[in-house]
Amino acid sequence: MNFLENAPRFLFFTGKGGVGKTSIACATAVQLAEAGRRVLLVSTDPASNVGQAFGVEIGDKVTAVPAVAGLSALEIDPQAAAQSYRDRIVGPVRGKLPDAVIKGIEEQLSGACTTEIAAFDEFTALLTDTDITSGFDHVIFDTAPTGHTIRLLQLPVAWSGFLEAGKGDASCLGPLAGLARQRAQYEAAVDALADGRRTRLILVARAQVSALREAARTHGELAAIGLTQQFLVINGLLPKEEAALDPLAHALYAREQAALAAIPEPLRALPRDDVALKPFNLVGLDALRHLLVDSASQAECFDGAPVELRAPGLSALVDGIAADGHGLIMLMGKGGVGKTALAAAVAVELARRGLPVHLTTSDPAAHLSETLHGSLEHLTVSRIDPHAETERYRQEVLATKGASLDAQGRALLEEDLRSPCTEEIAVFQAFSRVIREAGEKFVVMDTAPTGHTLLLLDATGAYHREVARMLDAKGAHYTTPMMQLQDDKRTKVLIVTLAETTPVLEAANLQADLRRAGIEPWAWIVNNSVAAARPHSPLLQQRARNELSEVENVVARHARRYAVVPMLKEEPVGVERLLELVAAVSGGGDPDPAAIVIPSRR
Amino acid sequence: MTTIQIFDPALCCSTGVCGVEADQALITFAADVDWAKQNGVQIERFNLAQQPMAFADSATVTRFLERSGQDALPLILVDGEIALAGRYPNRAELARWTDVKAASETQSGGCCSGSSCC
Repeated sequence: MNFLENAPRFLFFTGKGGVGKTSIACATAVQLAEAGRRVLLVSTDPASNVGQAFGVEIGDKVTAVPAVAGLSALEIDPQAAAQSYRDRIVGPVRGKLPDAVIKGIEEQLSGACTTEIAAFDEFTALLTDTDITSGFDHVIFDTAPTGHTIRLLQLPVAWSGFLEAGKGDASCLGPLAGLARQRAQYEAAVDALADGRRTRLILVARAQVSALREAARTHGELAAIGLTQQFLVINGLLPKEEAALDPLAHALYAREQAALAAIPEPLRALPRDDVALKPFNLVGLDALRHLLVDSASQAECFDGAPVELRAPGLSALVDGIAADGHGLIMLMGKGGVGKTALAAAVAVELARRGLPVHLTTSDPAAHLSETLHGSLEHLTVSRIDPHAETERYRQEVLATKGASLDAQGRALLEEDLRSPCTEEIAVFQAFSRVIREAGEKFVVMDTAPTGHTLLLLDATGAYHREVARMLDAKGAHYTTPMMQLQDDKRTKVLIVTLAETTPVLEAANLQADLRRAGIEPWAWIVNNSVAAARPHSPLLQQRARNELSEVENVVARHARRYAVVPMLKEEPVGVERLLELVAAVSGGGDPDPAAIVIPSRR
Repeated sequence: MTTIQIFDPALCCSTGVCGVEADQALITFAADVDWAKQNGVQIERFNLAQQPMAFADSATVTRFLERSGQDALPLILVDGEIALAGRYPNRAELARWTDVKAASETQSGGCCSGSSCC
């Protein structure tokens, strides 16, 4: 593996949830430790199974792993870090200010940015030379801070000017106010990150167009702030031999190879390693030892019946949606889970049933919406370009709010406007122009604002609430936008996930966030299920087997209603394939008594 | 010397978030604060989300919050006494509270969209 050669002191693995960062970080730690180095592995994975993998309880203290000489590990829980961060700000005033006020402040500090910064706060001590790290040759992190966080910390004005001058025109400074350490320490940490002799960044991705595009973006962003020592790992590649065994495997292989052939330009120059999909679960030391080693033969035997999953398909969900005649349908989920395709599928199916639909997407590739445009009666398609919308919004805010700021204040405002929240808001604002139509037809969107954003937006809409209260007293009918989103006759949120541990966990977090805003997601869709596609290839069957417990988890613990959409051989582009996606039901065929059946809860 | 204290509502994390539309009242007021400072007025602003201690430390502000809630912010104290609440003062009002003569270019600050947000 290229990325292991001459490994520097700090190694960061980054990539979106579910690509296998933690597994690769663990395998790297084992490999380096067994080569005689003293290694500290730091995991911030909320689904961390580092302890499980090594058969030892870890937690938030540096713990030696007895099974591997020279290896210690540490788990940082980002949520807990964010909580103690909030406590530092809110703690001193608890009991002194009214509860409602405290709640409001806490909501301000409940966004993704706060979690990010709080986690970075925890990193700081590990990146600077302290007693904790002095005994180690390598410190390995299974995550990396985002460019936004680092840039924010690099702005001198974020530290002094605004807070001390108390200008009050707030920004992302709220979170910074709760940082626990001295500014010099953050500077040292940021310096260590930007030093190629000390720090290496390993981008982990799957061979999928969207995952690679995301990796290219991260690459550019972190390179721009000095993290130039970057490597690329493509994880979970389907081996060629496997493609011959199964039509689905063949299609997947072809798709992965095509994605790699079209790899974004900035990634081409990076040293790259390919890690093949393994026929074993990545649990336990032995599995980790083999992850980064090319196994000579993939052809391990699988005993037992083929995996079969029986679960409702998308069509059953559309029945429920169609019944209300109109409304807003929002698909929500992390990037790369297939929201756009599923939104298109739902819209196309509704239109096929003769219902008026407006599909509006933020599909970055545009090809999906373009192919649908004008293709079906009752269906209108529009597309919002997230980049253009965000840029327009930034310019607007800078021109108005920014006008009265000095150069430093303006720099801070500009950085604020690069936060992920800003993009979310800008896109949602653009969508909201269409939302009005949901009173008489269906509006299907491939995105939704998080509960945190909605709560903040609603807080700014306090005036509307006030009006609503007064009108209600007189018996008048009045609804705020928030009330429309909370009413599931008018708005249905569909959570989209994949049948893998981290994506399911991330989806559950999105749901918890929406619930905070009083919105109960209407259904979950488990997309791209291999289990539902009934594969024959041993490798895919292994993957399918792993999916079952995740689907069970979704059904038993998270979803009011759900659907499972099988992985298709071809990308669902065009009306016909989208309709196939809706009609696709997992399992198919005759009921098999030996099959694992997951009952519908409806 | 007169001290003016502005207790702002929780102006939130991302300017983007609260700035569904950049609030002209706030922009104008920011300019008015600058103007007042340049004229030697002692004027301080506290943001509920960032400096909650400043709110908790003042009995007047705490009582105001208990009675009227945070939606009633901003609250403006002049020498520790409530001078205005629910909107930002305009330049003429700032001048009235202090010894500064309001210039003829007096702009009306928060002509009150009713929204307390930024």
